Amino acid sequence: MVRNESLRKLGVVTMNIKFNNRDPVYVQVIQHFKEQIATGLFEPGQEIPSRRELANQLKINPNTAQRAYKEMEEQGLIFTERNLPSRITRDEAVIKTVREELILEAVNTFIASVQSINVPLDEALDLVKDNFDKAKDGQEGDA
Amino acid sequence: MMSYLKLTNFELSRFFKMYLVLIGITLVMQTLSVVWTANNYLGEINEQLSSGSTVEEAINGWGLFSFDFITRGFWFSAPILLCIASLLIYVFFIWYRDWLGKNTFAYRLFMLPTARLNVFLAKATAIFLMVLGLISIQLVFLTIENELMKMIVPNTFREDLTINEIINGFDYLRVLYPVSFIQFFINYGIGFMAVIVVFTGILFERSFRWKGIILGVLFSGIALIVFFLPILLHETILNHFFYPTELFILMLISGLIVIAGSIWMSNYLLNKKIRV
Amino acid sequence: MIEVKDITKKFGRKKVLNGVSFTANKGEITCLIGINGVGKTTVLNAIMNLTPINSGEILIDGNKINKDSYEKITFIPDAITMLPSMKISDAMTFMADFYNAWNQTRADELLSFFKLDANERISSLSKGNTAKVNMLLGLALDVDYLLMDEPFSGIDIFSREQIAEVFTSHLVEDRGVIITTHEINDIEHLIDKAVLLNDGVVLREFNAEEVRETEGKSIIDVMREVYHA
Repeated sequence: MVRNESLRKLGVVTMNIKFNNRDPVYVQVIQHFKEQIATGLFEPGQEIPSRRELANQLKINPNTAQRAYKEMEEQGLIFTERNLPSRITRDEAVIKTVREELILEAVNTFIASVQSINVPLDEALDLVKDNFDKAKDGQEGDA
Repeated sequence: MMSYLKLTNFELSRFFKMYLVLIGITLVMQTLSVVWTANNYLGEINEQLSSGSTVEEAINGWGLFSFDFITRGFWFSAPILLCIASLLIYVFFIWYRDWLGKNTFAYRLFMLPTARLNVFLAKATAIFLMVLGLISIQLVFLTIENELMKMIVPNTFREDLTINEIINGFDYLRVLYPVSFIQFFINYGIGFMAVIVVFTGILFERSFRWKGIILGVLFSGIALIVFFLPILLHETILNHFFYPTELFILMLISGLIVIAGSIWMSNYLLNKKIRV
Repeated sequence: MIEVKDITKKFGRKKVLNGVSFTANKGEITCLIGINGVGKTTVLNAIMNLTPINSGEILIDGNKINKDSYEKITFIPDAITMLPSMKISDAMTFMADFYNAWNQTRADELLSFFKLDANERISSLSKGNTAKVNMLLGLALDVDYLLMDEPFSGIDIFSREQIAEVFTSHLVEDRGVIITTHEINDIEHLIDKAVLLNDGVVLREFNAEEVRETEGKSIIDVMREVYHA
């Protein structure tokens, strides 16, 4: 019965990722973790599901979940003490790097798309300022 | 060994309901035939007595009633023939039912962690036990029916037969219940051999389908020739060379060769050629 | 490891398998994909020695299959392998009687996970529940390798989800699994390795994550390339 529980258990943090079929699944899992860490939804030191629970929740191959955890461990995003469940890193420096990395990624994407339609930087930035607040208000309004 | 016993038990239980039905039909039909035949006889006797004849005259006219009157009747033999026919059909069906329909039980049987030959031997044993069971039950029924007849027909009009006499009075009962042990051994040994050869034929068909039917028939033909080879030689080129006991021993050996050859061939087909 | 080495299989004059080779590792889910034809099921039947092959060789952990192998490898065909007249409990007793590898605890666990009633007769089960019983009978064996023929076809979406859930659980973990399918959509993220079969030959054998990583392609992308080439 205990095992049956694990089949049904939703884990310590629940998550739902919409995967695309062309990027490696483990990369998408790591990306998701980074986003959650950067936004603070996964708190430092928070317990995360075991690799099996993760595979079960996300309906992905357990070997893939294993690989994602291994990479994240190597990157210092998560850590495991002895036989305890893995946890989100408490290392502020790592969290900071993740955040910067994500911001940089978003900015690069933005630059690429703005450049592709030949918009001058000043005009683009003005529009960004105007719309950024609107979008944020909108989001809060929704919430 | 355990698997073989479990499989035999399983095969027996799969036919058990049908088996009970066959036994039930036999009991009902034969009992009715005893009552009906005896009453018919008494009816005729009574009619003659009431028309003024003496008992002696009536007996002279109709004869003393014996169990032969019953065994010669259709309703007595019909269930026996039905049982024989059912078992003959089941010799085939015991295999084909495993391939039947969407629930292919053959998959399960051939994925059991035991020699596949055990499946074969279990099916053969099941058939054999069912035959022996039926003839034992028929023997019990004969005794009961004989007593029942005695209750219906009064002493005066009756000629009592022993079970032995009843059996010897009728052809196919004599085949089913040979008096000597040797004869019993021969009759049922040949029967067992035939079942094994037919099983092998079925496995040929299950392995090679249409082509397998030809191979199966061919195999059975060869088995037949091998089995009768001593007699064939005895009657033809050897010009009645053997004493009867020698011939018997030679037939015994040829029979054993056929059985061993069939089992070997079946084992080969089951392990290397069978298709689910 | 299951090694299928250059096997050929003829039905009459028709070559169904024409030199098929691939391997399936323990701890991995290998998927035989074929958009049509009978080749996939034949491969599984051949691995289990349920149909003879004309040439080639199949090894399970280095050995040819024998009677003892059936305690190490099992096959879940697309139809249930028990008699329709049996109750689910009878079917489980039958398995327990014959297999040392039968794990009753796991069987009970699966029974409640699939929400099945052991007293129900197999003949009275819905399609989805029949498939689940079939899965149960295979999964409750403590075997190293599990072969499944089209486990997702012909059943309702909820049964499909439940069965998919099994694949990511401890019930399958650490075992070697080979499944066949003609429809990859549902299980794109579940499998380790894909083996694309067509007209009796393996067109391509690849690790799904690797292809995504090095070529940026989904399994369906690869199928499109291979089958339309």
